[in-house]
Amino acid sequence: MVTLQSYLTLSALVFSIGITGIIINRKNIIIVMMCTELLLISVNFNFIAFSHQLQDLSGQVFVFFILTVAAAEAAIGLAILVALYRNKKSISVSELNTLRN
Amino acid sequence: MMLLEIIFYVFASVLICASLGVILFKNPVYSAFSLILAFITTGLLWLLLEAEFLAIVLVLVYVGAVMVLFLFVIMMLNINIEEENSGFTKIAPIAIFLGLVIAAELIALFWIQSDHFIGEASFSSSDISANNTLLLGTEMFTKYILSFEIAGFILLLAIIVSISLTLRSRKNVKKQVARDQISADPKKRVRMVDIKKGDM
Repeated sequence: MVTLQSYLTLSALVFSIGITGIIINRKNIIIVMMCTELLLISVNFNFIAFSHQLQDLSGQVFVFFILTVAAAEAAIGLAILVALYRNKKSISVSELNTLRN
Repeated sequence: MMLLEIIFYVFASVLICASLGVILFKNPVYSAFSLILAFITTGLLWLLLEAEFLAIVLVLVYVGAVMVLFLFVIMMLNINIEEENSGFTKIAPIAIFLGLVIAAELIALFWIQSDHFIGEASFSSSDISANNTLLLGTEMFTKYILSFEIAGFILLLAIIVSISLTLRSRKNVKKQVARDQISADPKKRVRMVDIKKGDM
């Protein structure tokens, strides 16, 4: 029997994998952005599971808006990444210390 | 019901493996392909939850647009893979510990308070003629119309911001500038000279 808890557990696992990936990665910002996409997908999973359980479409509308904002976020993030690489010739997380001091 | 369980557990394990692949592959191109697999699997699992429109939107928008953008950037940036991954293991134990704690907390929350989640996720409740796209569109264009327009504005903003961040104007390039051409003053360009007859 596939219960709501199974879906929530799956999304919790994907969420924790995404957070682990963000912390573990010190060398490549692109991987960090991909892990952000994983986090958003797991949150959307929760919305859709609850929407199905409660038979309410508002959850799916929210997922639609989250997808829109996530697409905009990915586009702007990659543009920032290209501008950053053009200036520093590197996309390493540990070298981003311009704002320190 | 047995078939649905098999489908769910197969795709759930594929999703977990694909999202582990995103963070474990050394080559970012492999990570991007692994993320594509995770998105497609998520779309299939959303089909099980009767969210057909969003499943298709996820595959079309994410796999078709966002991940292609990611792959473009990865291949454009010419990253040295061997050098970039050298400091991988230093904080790995802390990260894995934190991830396990978060997963344990969330899963414990779902399973201890399990009487709040009574009942099976019902698969046969809605009739077959219910049109998910129609219902979602009706909801979105009536109740959430302001949010819909704000979402469109956010997308416009994303276009403007990403173009203005990446567009650069090169120096020392010969090109037409229409504004300067139009605003040129003919009196400064042409000098009228009176020539007397005897000068020739």
